[in-house]
Amino acid sequence: MAALGGSGGIGPPRSGGLRGVVPPGWHSTVWRWAVLLATAVYFLLPLWAALRFAGISAFGSVVGESGFTSSLGLSVRLAVITTVITIALMLPTAVYVHLRLPGLRRLLEGITILPIVIPPVVLIVGVLAIAPGFLKGTSWLLALEYVILAMPFSYRALDAGLRALDLKTIVEASSSLGAGWISTLARVILPNMRTALLSATVLSVAMVLGEYTMASLDLFQTFPVWIYVNSQTSGQVSVAASLLALFVTWFFLMIITVLGTRQSRKTGGGEVTLFTVARTETRGD
Amino acid sequence: MGSTVAAPGSLADPGALSPPGPSGPSRVTLALRWLRKISGIVPFAVFVTFGLLLPMVAVAAGAFQNNDGGFTFSNVSAATHGIYLKGFWQSIILSVISAVIPGILGLIVAYAIFTAKRAQVLRQVAITAAGVFANFGGVPLAFIFIATIGSSGLVSQWLTSLGFDPYAHGFTLYSLTGVIFVYLYFQIPLMVLVILPALEGLRPAWREAAANLGARTFDYWRYVAGPVLLPSFLGCVLLLFGSALSAYATTEALTNGTIPLTSIQIGSFLNGNVIAGQENIGKALGLGMVVIIAIAMVFYVVLQRRSAKWLR
Amino acid sequence: MTTNTARDATATASGTGQARAGGGTSVRLQDLTRAFGGTRALDGLSIEMAPGELVALLGPSGCGKTTALRIVAGFETADTGSVLIDGKDISSVPAAKRDMGMVFQSYSLFPNMSALDNVAFGLRMRKIATGERRQQAAGLLDMVGLAPQASQYPHQLSGGQQQRVALARALAIQPRVLLLDEPLSALDAKVRLQLREQIRTLQQQLGTTTLFVTHDQEEALSMADRVGVMSRGRLEQIAAPDELYTDPATAFVAEFVGVMNRIPGELQAGGQVAVLGKTVPVRGHRPDQTAVDVLVRPEGLDLEIVANGNGIVTTRTFLGSVTRVGVQLDGDVAVLLDRPSTESAALAPGESVAVSLPAQPVLVTARRAG
Repeated sequence: MAALGGSGGIGPPRSGGLRGVVPPGWHSTVWRWAVLLATAVYFLLPLWAALRFAGISAFGSVVGESGFTSSLGLSVRLAVITTVITIALMLPTAVYVHLRLPGLRRLLEGITILPIVIPPVVLIVGVLAIAPGFLKGTSWLLALEYVILAMPFSYRALDAGLRALDLKTIVEASSSLGAGWISTLARVILPNMRTALLSATVLSVAMVLGEYTMASLDLFQTFPVWIYVNSQTSGQVSVAASLLALFVTWFFLMIITVLGTRQSRKTGGGEVTLFTVARTETRGD
Repeated sequence: MGSTVAAPGSLADPGALSPPGPSGPSRVTLALRWLRKISGIVPFAVFVTFGLLLPMVAVAAGAFQNNDGGFTFSNVSAATHGIYLKGFWQSIILSVISAVIPGILGLIVAYAIFTAKRAQVLRQVAITAAGVFANFGGVPLAFIFIATIGSSGLVSQWLTSLGFDPYAHGFTLYSLTGVIFVYLYFQIPLMVLVILPALEGLRPAWREAAANLGARTFDYWRYVAGPVLLPSFLGCVLLLFGSALSAYATTEALTNGTIPLTSIQIGSFLNGNVIAGQENIGKALGLGMVVIIAIAMVFYVVLQRRSAKWLR
Repeated sequence: MTTNTARDATATASGTGQARAGGGTSVRLQDLTRAFGGTRALDGLSIEMAPGELVALLGPSGCGKTTALRIVAGFETADTGSVLIDGKDISSVPAAKRDMGMVFQSYSLFPNMSALDNVAFGLRMRKIATGERRQQAAGLLDMVGLAPQASQYPHQLSGGQQQRVALARALAIQPRVLLLDEPLSALDAKVRLQLREQIRTLQQQLGTTTLFVTHDQEEALSMADRVGVMSRGRLEQIAAPDELYTDPATAFVAEFVGVMNRIPGELQAGGQVAVLGKTVPVRGHRPDQTAVDVLVRPEGLDLEIVANGNGIVTTRTFLGSVTRVGVQLDGDVAVLLDRPSTESAALAPGESVAVSLPAQPVLVTARRAG
């Protein structure tokens, strides 16, 4: 913990964090980078191996494989529907609970975390058992279930966005100036939640594009199902397709985070990540 | 829309107000008010009921039905014996290990990210990566690992060329050990995502106050950060437990049903790979899983409540 | 490291006892500079603190006062300059070994420990046995009036109570220097006043050299032996509170501390300035230009009710024993005068008055454009 005179400058104090007290000495920085490096290796090495296995040519032929477009199209359509329903459902609910029923927040968190721990395998059994006839066999059923599966991540992202606002105050200010409920939601709340909405969107999309279990057991050939089926015949193309999906999702999430931080900085906020929007603490200097 | 907003932390319960009379509102008014208050979450409640709760009930109900629709315990008893019991055991053990190890590793990684306050790009890349990889499972993941440390995978061959063939030493990707290794790939990111908010709750003033009073890094962790984070940490590990328990696609792709695991067994019932007349055993298995997870979730909620007090 | 019990540390009420063996600690900040990116948070700060003195660092946001405090505490490193305690340079000593007690602005109590355990934490770090340290901690909690709250947790305590526990915690280790980082700004007014007195009393009883950072001038002026006014990383003036008020060294200090009027005047040869129809001597710094503003306190102006005077009364604000009268002078200049309330009954808005300066040396500063 040596505050060695002049060595290893600490840099401008940022929002929160361990400013200046995380030892400016070298050993903690080394440890941190070692951990991150080892992690990076563990996660990137398999991707590299997969890349080599698939071969560059496989990427080219991915698009041409039969079933690629139809399955991808289905997945994308599902993703869009899921996302729209998710936002339309979760956003007002989250806002409402934040404002009117703050005591239920814990319960809501608990409920929305359930889909992570309920096996999709079990869920689909139950869903198929109770689904009304007109929904059964349509992709709408799947979309509705995907909304449930996306809940943990989408709710957490929206909740983080709401927590970063002083929601009660701005809503009261808005209504004291004469704005109705819809106006307030559209003009005051939504614009301040752009990043959270984007995060929720991309996380939902990522989930849908990667979901295999329920789709296959519901007998729909979505993109991941197509990858599996196709792998029996040409493994390389399947792997290439998987990698493609992964990188595209990653890319979009990065864009959101960068744009989100830029926009947040403009309005005086702090750094933005998927589930946190740091508020800059006013430095009482 | 009403203009009064309930005070934070209070569920302004109309029923707690003074009894009706010339000085207070009537019971009917209070009841109506309460109904209006909860009306906002009705859409969500309906959705969750039909999408999550009722299917669960259906599974639970089906577990006790025989083929003619009558009540029976035979499914449940079959599900708790023999190969299915083994499946439960192995699933639980697998999930515990796949929760604790990534839990600890995830905490370390999360802390490394958390303390890298200056390297902003790194933080954002790492956290987005966590978001992506936490959702990356199933068949593609299995394939990628087969390509890496499968019997002819890249790393396997590389290690062999260095003189150490893992497969000759009894390691195989297609075993429980291999499955655990693969689970790390989405469990660690999941842990990072869920523990980061808790880390953000560690106030810098605590670290500084501790240092000011003479504490070394170790003392800080032992007396302050450790105890404060413990409930959150345990809660997140429980979450990971549930996530591992419910994983299906990855394991299926890796093992093709050679290892008895509950989620796989349920899947095979759905795929029709069973003797006719025993379909409801699958539902009994599902019920069993839900029971295990329900118990874990109760602990999770209790722990979260505890930690919320401290990490305000 | 002395092992006085808390009881020993409490001097009798009859005086500021020097309870520490060997008297208090002198602190010296020498030429501290610190830059963050492009901005200079500290630009050559030098302060000498006598043993047992309470020095307040006062200034607006961003003036560098908190940075200075954190450098003394060891949480930040100065780019150049050093900190000396009793003559020894401690710039390379880690924060944990500096033997200083710090009270933070808010939320610094360890949430997983009771009040007692919080206070005893520093003693635990110094390997003091459980029984003894709990006893000492209890004594300290008693000193700040929170003995009944010993087993309560921070989230069960009010803001004021938390800060008192934080104070007890900092004092438990019998620090050589006490550092306070705006400890009262997060509290409400009444609690703030009570704590102000309590901190000052304790500090005087224990004779601990104390550095206190605040942006509230009333706080600084009422508590400190000396107040250092800072602006943009530099120390404008450090002096006893009354000296700061009556004898501000610079225009910044004059306007920052208390209320100050600005009246246009013309600088004359021979160190004089022509203002309000009079010529008075200038004291202190003389600006380069002739167009200047003269700085006068509200109580430094005289007022007479006359017909066709040089001003019209615009407002009248009752402040208790004193009434603040706003006057619009010829030439579109607004000034405030403080007069005893008993004499101000006849001053109604619209009344014509004559405002004048007594023949005393005044501070001047370059006239503000616009």
